[in-house]
Amino acid sequence: MDASQLLKGVLDVAVLAVVRDSDGYGYDVVRRLRTAGLEDVGDASVYGTLRRLYSAGALTSYVVPSDEGPHRKYYAINDRGRSVLEDSTKTWRTFADTVDRLLDGPVAA
Amino acid sequence: MSAPTVSPASDYLVAVEQELSDLPAEDRSALMEDLALHLEALASEDDDRPLAVRLGTPAVYAADLRAAAGLPARAAGGPPARSRLDAVLASAAYRRALPVLQGTGRLLVELRPAWWVVRGYLVVLVPCLLGSDRLEDIPVPAPMHSHLLGVLLVLAAIAGSVILGRRTLPKALRVVVVSAGVLLVIVATGAALDVRDGIRFGLAADAWAVGPQVPDETYPLLSRYGPVTDVFPYSADGTPLEGVLLYDQDGRPLHVGKQEWWKDECLRTLKQPQAADGVPVPNSFPQQYELYPGDLNLYTATAMGAGSCIEHRERPDVPLPTFAAESVAPAPGD
Repeated sequence: MDASQLLKGVLDVAVLAVVRDSDGYGYDVVRRLRTAGLEDVGDASVYGTLRRLYSAGALTSYVVPSDEGPHRKYYAINDRGRSVLEDSTKTWRTFADTVDRLLDGPVAA
Repeated sequence: MSAPTVSPASDYLVAVEQELSDLPAEDRSALMEDLALHLEALASEDDDRPLAVRLGTPAVYAADLRAAAGLPARAAGGPPARSRLDAVLASAAYRRALPVLQGTGRLLVELRPAWWVVRGYLVVLVPCLLGSDRLEDIPVPAPMHSHLLGVLLVLAAIAGSVILGRRTLPKALRVVVVSAGVLLVIVATGAALDVRDGIRFGLAADAWAVGPQVPDETYPLLSRYGPVTDVFPYSADGTPLEGVLLYDQDGRPLHVGKQEWWKDECLRTLKQPQAADGVPVPNSFPQQYELYPGDLNLYTATAMGAGSCIEHRERPDVPLPTFAAESVAPAPGD
């Protein structure tokens, strides 16, 4: 099974979960997702998702100047993002449980 | 902060931006503004591999970016129409032509009320032209043969058309109105060409018609060339015959019309031979005409100059056939 297809469906919730723990800039978010086990996640997909969540008002952003390298744009979750994450989490758990039950065997009538 | 150097990310960034060039400017600039920072941060990571290896080709990167950011995928094949349009709008030729185009555009906008009036007129005229009696409908349409009704309808249609024109319509309705207008002009043009052909045909028919189209009292015998006013008989050997009595297929005396026009413009009267009982014989050919006493002008009834009237009437030159002995050929159509 191609995990990248599954990833597309849960990237929003995964990105929100990562920035809920602590604010992060683009590549930092990618790295934390990969470290967490989503190794196939693409940089462009994460960056695009961050932009979309930001446009939708689920994230705020701020720029941190750096003396050593380029400025970094950090993304932070806000109340709206937290509520989206909460809803998405419920949806995901229900969905995952359903698929788990399906995979585990015949459903008891 | 270090001095700005040529960033390894900049080439990649330009290539990605190129792939996003079909997006609306605001979407694109929002993406690009952050992407520059993002890619530079990425390039400064402790990784020696070029960005194209780490991230994939700019085209793939841009496609992933679009999908994740919820933007439409790039249309397949060739530069999209929008960027071609942008190229035209940016060209020097367009900038030179711009004042003329703007002037023409303003003129067209100013002329819109004129179109509204024409549209109202055409809305009434065109259906009338599609019916019969089309010549009656120009310039004032006459629906149901009433010019008054036509005038009233035209005025109402113009009023409606102007009200419609002044109103700001929703886009869908505007498309319908513009399409209907174009259709109206096309149909009107077709109808106008039809009417023109009709007039041309009518004039041609008038020019060809000499005298009446059906036999009447004045001209009881018509040929394809017009009224027949005389018959000149010849014998088979070409001798001109005088006083020949002619009858039609049913034995009725052949009547011709009186000749009113003479080459010398002198007035003549018809002198028909009389039978023993004093009744004129109209079917004796050629017809006998005599100059009116005093040599009067045909049209003005004033005296003509001496010698201007031809006393003896000449027969027209006719191409007489020569017959072979005993030969009788079938007539065409037999």
